[in-house]
Amino acid sequence: MKCKLKEIIIYTVLIVLTLIYILPLLWMINVSLKTNQELMVNPFSIPEVLQLGNYIYAWVKGNLGTAMLNSFIVCTVSLILSLTLGSMAAFAIARMKWRFSEWAMSYFMLGMMIPVHCVLIPLFVQFSKIGLTDSLIGLIIPYTVFALPMVIFLMTGFFRSLQNEIFEAACIDGCSIYSCFFKIAAPLAKTGFSVAGMMTFVSNWNELLMALVFISDVDKKTLPVTLTYFVGPYAVNYVQMFAAIIIALAPTIIVYLIFSNQIVEGMTTGAVKG
Amino acid sequence: MDKMLHNRKAIVFFVAPAFILFTVVLLIPILQMLYYSLCDYNALKEPVFIGLDNFKTLLFEDKTMRTALKNSLFFMIFSAATQQVIGVLLAVMLTNIRRGRNFFRNVIYLPTVLSSAALGLLWAFIFNPKFGLNYLLDKVGIEGPLWLMESDGFIVLPMIVIAFVALWQYVGQNMMLYMAQIMGISKDLYEAARIDGASSLKTFRFITLPLIKPMFITSLSLNCIGSLKFFDLVYNMTQGGPNNRTQVLATHLYEQGFIYFKYGYSSAIAVVLLVLCLIVSLIIRKGIKVENYEM
Repeated sequence: MKCKLKEIIIYTVLIVLTLIYILPLLWMINVSLKTNQELMVNPFSIPEVLQLGNYIYAWVKGNLGTAMLNSFIVCTVSLILSLTLGSMAAFAIARMKWRFSEWAMSYFMLGMMIPVHCVLIPLFVQFSKIGLTDSLIGLIIPYTVFALPMVIFLMTGFFRSLQNEIFEAACIDGCSIYSCFFKIAAPLAKTGFSVAGMMTFVSNWNELLMALVFISDVDKKTLPVTLTYFVGPYAVNYVQMFAAIIIALAPTIIVYLIFSNQIVEGMTTGAVKG
Repeated sequence: MDKMLHNRKAIVFFVAPAFILFTVVLLIPILQMLYYSLCDYNALKEPVFIGLDNFKTLLFEDKTMRTALKNSLFFMIFSAATQQVIGVLLAVMLTNIRRGRNFFRNVIYLPTVLSSAALGLLWAFIFNPKFGLNYLLDKVGIEGPLWLMESDGFIVLPMIVIAFVALWQYVGQNMMLYMAQIMGISKDLYEAARIDGASSLKTFRFITLPLIKPMFITSLSLNCIGSLKFFDLVYNMTQGGPNNRTQVLATHLYEQGFIYFKYGYSSAIAVVLLVLCLIVSLIIRKGIKVENYEM
C-alpha cells in the first residue's frame, strides 16, 4: 500500500514535469501557425487557417536555408578535424612511450578550464588582420581547437583500455606504428569516437558567442546567430519568429527523437568522464 | 615492439598538429589577452601600456560591472543549488520507477541539446508582458508582473526568470550524471538495508547520498563554470536590459569588446572571468573531500 502511494506521487510529479517540458514547445508550434492578429486576440486559441506562409517567410527572410547549410559545414568540418587530430594526439599520449607524454596531457587539459570568452578579443584582432573574419574557416578553427581537450581526454581513456596484446601481435606481423593507429586502434575505439563526436557536434551546433563575434556577413551566419535577427524590443513579427525557431530546432529534435537513448547515454558518458 | 613505441618521428606526427593548433589558437591568445588587459586599446589605435588602470576603473568605477558580477555570482549560486538538489531528486525518482523511465528521462534531457539561443527567444515571449503567461494569469484575475522588464530589487526579477529558464534547460544534465552514478550502486546494499528495516529516507541518506558524492564534484564544477560563462539566454532574453540591470560578466564583456570596441577594457573583464573560473574549480576540487567506499 505504501509502495503504491510512493509510485503515484512519483508519477504525478513526472507527468507535471513532462507537461512543463513539452507544452512550451507545442504552444510554440501552435503560435507559429497563426496570424499576428489571432495571436494578439488570444495566444492560446487554435489557428483558424494553418498559416504555413509563416514558415516560408521565416525561411526566406531569416535566410535560414543558408544558415543551416553554414552551420552544417562548420560543424561537420570541425568535427572531422577535431576527432582526427585529437585522436592522433590521444593515441601518442595513451600508448606510445616518450618523456613528455604526461606533460602534454596536462597542457591539453588546460583548455577545459579556459572559457572561450578569454580568447575572443585576441582572436578577433588576429583574424581581422588575416581576413578570417566573415569566413567559415574563421569559425572552424576555434571550434576545432576548443573541442580538442574533450576529444583528447575521452580518446586517451579509450585507447588506454585497449589490450597490449593486440599491438604486440600487430607488431610481430610487421605492422608499422601508423597502421597500428589507423587500422587497429582507431576502428576499435568507435564508441569513443561517437561519444566525443556527439559532444563536439552538439556544442558547436548551438554555439552563439563566437559566431556572433566573428561573422557579420548575412550569407556566412550560422543558425543561432541568424535567430538573433528576431530579437529585440522592435521585433514584432512574433508568428514568423516562432516559425524560424521551429525550423532552427527541427533538425536537432528529429535526430533526438530517433536516437534519443543513444544521445542521452553518449552525452552522459562524455560528461561523466570529463 | 618497444622500438616502435619509442618512434620519435611518429610521436611528432601524431602530436604536433594538435599541439601547434592548440598553442596558436588558445595559449598565445590567452597571453595576448593578459597583455591587452593592461593596455589602453581600442579598435582605432594600437595598444598602449597603462598598467592596472583598466582594473581600477572596472572594480571601483564601473557600475555595470558591479551589477554583472553580482548577477553572475547569484546565477552561479542559484544554479548550483537548485540544479544539484533537483538533479539528485529526479535521479532518485527515475531510478525508483519501473515503467517509462527512459521516456521521462529523455523528455527532461531534451532541452540540454537544443540551442539556448532559440529557447531563449521562446521563453522571452512566454514572459512577454501581455501574450504569454500573463494572458493566462489575467484570465484567472491575477495581474502578472512585467517579468523581463522589472528593474527593482537587489537581484532583479528578470535575472530570476532567466535563472529558472536555465534550470529548466540544464537540470537534465545533472539528473543524468546522478542517474548514472545511482545505477552503479550495488543492489545488494539496498537489499541489505531493506532487510535491516531501514526506511526509504534512511536508505537515501546513508546509502545513496554518500555513494553519489564523487559525482557531486563533476556535476558541481560543470554547473559553476557553466553559469559563470553564461551568455546565450541572457543575450536573447533581455540583452542585458532593462537599464543594464541583467548584465552578466559574459554579456558585459561582449558589449564592451564588440559594441564599443574597447579591447583593453574588455580583456580586463575576461581576466576577472578567468580568475573566477580558476578559483571556483580550485575550491570545488580542494574543498570537497571524497571518501572512497568499497562498492
